[in-house]
Order: sequence, then structure tokens, then C-alpha cells
Amino acid sequence: MKHGGPVARVAVAALLLAPAAVIIAMGFIAPLARLAILSFSAPAGPLAAYRELATVDVYRIVLRNTVVLALVVSAASLAIGFALALVLTRLDPSWRAVVFGCVVLPLWISVLVRTFSWMLILESNGPLNRFLIALGITDQPLPLLFAFPGVAIGMTHVVLPYAVLPIYAALARIDPVLLRASDGLGASRATTFLRVLLPLSARGLATAATFTFLLSLGFFVTPALLGGPSNTTIPMLIDSFVNERLDWPLAAAASMTLLAMALVVIGFAGRFAPIGAISEIA
Amino acid sequence: MTPAGAWTKAFAAFVAALVVVPVLATVPLAFSAQSFVRLPPQNWSLRWWGAFFADPSWLRALATSLEVATLSCLLSVMAGTSAALALPRLGPRVRALANGLFLGPLIAPVIVLAVGLYALARALGLVGSTIGLVLAHTMLALPYVVMNVGVSIATLDPRLALAASGLGAGPWRVFFTVVLPSILPGVIGGGVFAFVTSFDEVVLAIFLAGPSVKTLPVRIWEEIRVEYTPVVAVAATIMIVLAGFGLAIGRLTARRRA
Amino acid sequence: MSAVAFRGVTKRFDAFEALAPLDLDIASGEFVTLLGPSGSGKTTLLNICAGYLPPTSGSLLIGGRDVTALPARRRNIGMVFQNYALFPHLDVFENVAYGLRARKVAIAELRRRVQEALRTVRLDDFGARSVRSLSGGQQQRVALARAMVIEPDILLMDEPLGALDKQLRKDVQIEIRRMHVARPRTTLYVTHDQEEALVMSDRIAVMRQGRIVQLGTAQELYSRPADSFVARFLGESNLVRGRVAALEEGRASLAVDGFGAPIEGRPARGLKVSDEACALIRPEHVRPVAGGRQARVLERLFLGEIVALRLVSPGGVELWSRLFSADAPQDDVIEIGWEKERVSILPEAS
Repeated sequence: MKHGGPVARVAVAALLLAPAAVIIAMGFIAPLARLAILSFSAPAGPLAAYRELATVDVYRIVLRNTVVLALVVSAASLAIGFALALVLTRLDPSWRAVVFGCVVLPLWISVLVRTFSWMLILESNGPLNRFLIALGITDQPLPLLFAFPGVAIGMTHVVLPYAVLPIYAALARIDPVLLRASDGLGASRATTFLRVLLPLSARGLATAATFTFLLSLGFFVTPALLGGPSNTTIPMLIDSFVNERLDWPLAAAASMTLLAMALVVIGFAGRFAPIGAISEIA
Repeated sequence: MTPAGAWTKAFAAFVAALVVVPVLATVPLAFSAQSFVRLPPQNWSLRWWGAFFADPSWLRALATSLEVATLSCLLSVMAGTSAALALPRLGPRVRALANGLFLGPLIAPVIVLAVGLYALARALGLVGSTIGLVLAHTMLALPYVVMNVGVSIATLDPRLALAASGLGAGPWRVFFTVVLPSILPGVIGGGVFAFVTSFDEVVLAIFLAGPSVKTLPVRIWEEIRVEYTPVVAVAATIMIVLAGFGLAIGRLTARRRA
Repeated sequence: MSAVAFRGVTKRFDAFEALAPLDLDIASGEFVTLLGPSGSGKTTLLNICAGYLPPTSGSLLIGGRDVTALPARRRNIGMVFQNYALFPHLDVFENVAYGLRARKVAIAELRRRVQEALRTVRLDDFGARSVRSLSGGQQQRVALARAMVIEPDILLMDEPLGALDKQLRKDVQIEIRRMHVARPRTTLYVTHDQEEALVMSDRIAVMRQGRIVQLGTAQELYSRPADSFVARFLGESNLVRGRVAALEEGRASLAVDGFGAPIEGRPARGLKVSDEACALIRPEHVRPVAGGRQARVLERLFLGEIVALRLVSPGGVELWSRLFSADAPQDDVIEIGWEKERVSILPEAS
């Protein structure tokens, strides 16, 4: 395929790249540009929308709620994900394939369906509450739905595979002989874990933390269905700006702010984990 | 690592169940005989399946989902494969820029993209059009297709193409007879992922939906925010079954590739 | 009381018997090498000693205590792995200090001991270096220092020189021997390289198919091998097959087809008349002797200070001879002989 000189080669490459480039331009760059412009076109002045976001109490509470929720969900999925990834490394191949399949399957199912499932499970008359009452753990059904616990549980569940995969990849790369060496040198199991296993899997943990936090910031469907009024997230706020207040500059400003937050997270994490690690999720 | 003892296996099974069971919880509801929502159902029946397939609005939603998914799958596969073939030919700086741009849709929160696309669609008069949604879904699936095909291409022996062209084959022939068969697992894997991603996608679909372009997830979303019947669970189950197929095919092509 | 004692140790993996019941005593400060081909069970035995593998039956005593049920971290062993297993995220100092930190040694003493260990392996100023920046030989020495610094009851080494090139391997062998002579530590060393075993060991245990075939000093194994396997494993050998014709106290003769007079030599244990056996004559003992057996020179190999001659008897029996170049005859037909005392009559290894 190498007939024609370097100019022809570049032309061929450009031609091959063109369709994808057009799609990215129209579907990604253009919308973001439009939002950027809109965010500065409030009637009250270019920075009016941003000022409103920064000063109105309700919006600041929403921002705080979103970040807190993201932190909780991240932390929970990291902890559970680490335990599960660790177990995965110890299983023999047939068991591992089964458990792996279980972890990966939810990724192919719509977040809406997964959230809906949690709605059914967590409601007052749902199987979880009935189970807890039957066991005598509580006499009244727990108000999990339309409250923080419900949202946190649902979101953690959705985000979990994104924690397990990079952590598992990092753990699997650790040479098992290193653990043997640590053991032979007299280190307790806890010491081997803290001084060898954990540091060597730090990269995977960083990647997992980044992705789970990033995803958690952007959740719309799950908090909308599982949460109550005090669990409003920034994406839900943006939705209300668009569909209820019809205030486009405000919606655009909020979107830009959320995007900036995402970029800050990526930038911060980029110093600890390579971004190419995304390919491990796919 | 130390092999798993009984406790470890039990823990693994427990967590695995915890991960999978909540996902499948809607399925039993689809077979409920009652019209109120109770899990697990007390009586079983197929009535809601009948209700689903008798309801034109649900069928239209299903058809729309299939249409949009098919179109975005085809579009992303073509554009993505083409781009993946282009990447190795680019200089390192351009390639880094291209890779960065492809990462964009993965990093930016979907709501931001949804609002932006909605704003753009309003400006262009494309609200509630199939094209707008197809474009949006294609954009979302493109990075995955490029990555999937890219991996296949990386394992391709460059000497095969050279040998073929040395034997007199023109570039199209070389592509169809040498390159494409080798990267086919990557292409199919990417295509399946694109299809299922589009079919499952909620947020973009909600914002770009119009009276005539309402995908299955959008219909479900509208239903469950008010009073709903188990017919919603039928729709959800259809989506789960489709996802299952996608996973199976995805795993198969991944194994063929490796 | 020996420093390390294996009593009736066996190991079974499903149906496969990796170790037959085995006894072995290692004296305090002794350097014992387990020498054998892959699959002989030597690494299995080492791992049982370390505590990474439980024996199927039998017991292991270290320093008089029964450690059979103890996990590796409670045994006070120092292990050097084939691929060094240095912790990549810790620098050289922290690697060497690892075992001391696990034992909660006080910081001042810890520093002193680590420095001394680094000095012993001649890596004095390498403390702050990262592991990745070291060459293979240097990494090997860090691994050694890490194992020695904790003053283990036994030092265990699993083919530690396998990844090094030939010249480096020789240097490190001599280095390890030097360190051992300066300060004897109870050591169990595993290798398949006989030269390595000969250079470094006080005693060698030749292993095959899960059994110790012979245990002894290098000298004993070389001049009085127990069977043809040990003979072949250590040093060059001529093994001439035949049948035991006569057998008495300390003397046997082997009848060989095509060789005329039977070969006389010292019999190994367990031989009986008319057994199939072989005569071991080391090539350096096959020399030109006036009036000796006739032989024709088939091949002449120049090996530096040594010349190797491939000889054949009129009846077709081949022998190698190794002589200093100055002593090698130039003719093609020569007469050869050897001292009877140097010949061993050995059973064929099964």
C-alpha cells in the first residue's frame, strides 16, 4: 500500500481519519463550544450565570452533596473492589472466569435497568426490607429509597466493575514470588499486605479511584430515581435548568463547571496513574 | 498468590452474587400475574409480555431503539475502523492529539454532552430527529471501536500486507483480503459494543428525544417516574437479554483475537 | 545435634511422588548442595525446608525444634530466589533492611547491620540506589545481603546464579565461597550445574527422581560415585559396560565385549557377580603406557592446555583420554593404560 510518495501517504491517512474527525467535531467539539458560548450569554452579563451558581445557597449545597456522594461511592467501591480483585487473583482459572463474568455482565446492561432493579429491591415493600423484617433485624421497613443510603448503594453497585478491573489488572501484575520473599523474611501477613501488595498495586488503585470518582460526579439517572429532594446532584440540577427553568446560560454554566471538575480530577490523577489505563476498562 | 481456601471461595461467590443478582432483579417481575409491583411475584403469568407486544407505543420505542442502534453501530464501525487504520500512519504528535480527542467522549460527563448536543440541535432545528441521536450515539461508541480495532491492528503482521501488495494486489484488495479478515474480531467486538451501548443509552436519548424519536430506555424512564405496571419490567428484560447476547459475542471475539 | 534435619520427608502431588522418604542432616555452618537434573525434587525439598510447601509426611527440625507445622515467616530462614525477588518499589537499603524491620530491630542496630551486610557483598555505597538501576550480578548480591543480614538459622538458595552469564557466574561462585569460608553459615543450595556444586560445597547430595542417590564431599562423589548416574553427573567420565566377572573384598573385574582382558577396579556397594555394571575410568587417568592396551586415535581435540583424544580399541570400545598437551602422543596408534586404583566398577543407574 506504499505506492505514492509521503504526500500521498498523508493524504490517505487524512482521508481515513476524516469520517471519525467529522463525527467528533460535530458530536463533541461543537456542542462543547456551543455550551461555552451560551454560558457567557446570560442577559445580565457574561459572568452572571457563573456568579449565580457560585452565590446561590441551594446550588452550593447541590455542589457539596454531589462531591460528598461521589467521595462516599468512590471509597465504598474501592474497598469492595479491592477485596474482590484480591479474591480474584487467588481463585483458580475456572472459578475466576465465572466471577469475572459476574463482574463484567452489569457493564453491558443499561444503567437505567440496573437502577430500576434497585428501585424494586430497596422500596419499603421490597424484598430487602421484607428480608430484614423477617430476620428481625428491624421492625419497620428502612427508608432506603428516596434517601442517601439508596442512592449510595445503587451508585456503588453501578460503579463497582470500574473499580475491580483496574485493581485486578494491577494485582495480577505483581510477581507472586515477591509475596513469598516477604513471607520468608519474617513479615506478618498484614505487613506483607501493607508494605508489598498495597504499594505495588497503587497505580491500579489510583486509576480505579479516578474513574469511580469521575463517573460518580456525572450520575444523572440513578440519583434521580433512587434519591430524594436532598440528594439532588449537579447533573440533575442541570436537567432542571434546561427542562424546567429553560435557563440556557445557567445550564451551560453549570455544565462547564462540571466539565471543569472532571478535567481537574483527570489532571490530578494523571500525575499518579497513566491515562492510557482507560483501555483496561474497555 | 496463595490458592483460595473455602472461605475465600465463599466470599467470592457471595460478592459475585451481590453484583449480579440486583441487576437481574427486574426479570421475575416481567412474569408477574399481578398489576401491582411486587418482587418476587406471587403469581406468574405472561400477560405483561402480551401487553407489551400489543401496545403500539412500546413497539414503536423498541423499533426506534433498534433503528438507532443499528445506524450508530454501522456508522461507528466504519468511521472507527477507518480511523484505527489511519492512526499508525500518523506522526507521533498527531497521533497523540487524535488519541486525546478520542478520549474526550469518555471523560466528559454524559450530561454535559447531552445538554450541549441538545443546545446544538435546537440551533440547527434537529431536535427530536433520528440523525441527531444517531450522531450522538456514534460519537459515544467511536472511542471504543477505535480502541478495539486498534488492538487487532497492532497484532497484525505488517509483512502480510507487504507480501500481498508485492504480489500485485491493489490497496482495496489488500484491505479486503488480508487486513479485514485479521481485524474482523476487533471490528465485530467494537460493533457489538457500539450496538449495545446505543441500545442501552439513556441520558442522550432523554435530551434528544422527540415525540417520534423515543427509544426504549426513554419510554421506561418516563413510565417509572409515575405509576407503572410490570410491563416496564418486560421492556427491561428485553434489554437485559440483548445485553447478554452482546456480552457473549464480545467475549467470543475477544478470545478469537487473543 | 545437626542444624537442620530432615526425617522421612516425602512429598506427593496427587499421584506424582516428588520426594521418596528422605533423610538428610546438615551440620551447623555446613554448605550442602542439592545437585540434580530438573524434576529430581531438589527445589521441592528446598521449598519444604523454607516452609513454602508442607511435606506429605515426615518431619523437619531446624536448630533442634520441630518446624514441620510452622509457616515460613516463623522459621527464621534466609531465602535467595532464582529471579532475586527484590522489592521494586524499595531501594537497596530498604530491601536489605526488610527482614530486620519485620523483626522490629532497633533503628541504630538495623542501620549498622544493613551497612555491614552491604559491605560483605561489596555494595557499600549502593544503599540509596533503586533496584531497577542495578545489573543482574548486583541484584543477586543485594538478594544475598537481604537473606544474610537477618542471621537466619539456615540460608536457602534456589539456583540463584541461573540468570547470570558464564563469566559472572564464575565470579559470584567464588565470591559466595569466599564469604562462606570467612563466616560459615548453614546453607542449603540448589543447582543443576555440577561445576557450581564442586566449587562451593562442603558436601553434595546428588538427587534423582525424588531420591538422594549419594551424599558426600566433592572428592568422594568424584572418585567413588555410587552409580553411573552420579559418575556421569560429575565431571567427564568413560563408562564401559560389561558384566561383573569376579568379585572379592575391595576388588572386582568387569568382562567387556571387545576389550580383551577384563577391567579391574574397586567395586561400589551392592554389586554381585554377573551383574550388569560399568567401569568408570576418568579421562585424565587414561594415559599412554608402554605395553598397554592397543588403541587407535579417532579424534584429537585441542582445548587449550588440555588435549582430548577419542580412542577406540580393536574390539570397538571407545574411550576418551584427557592429557596435558605436552604429554599427548602424536601417533595414531598408541598403547594406553591406567591405574587399577583409579577405576570404579559401578552399578548401572536404573
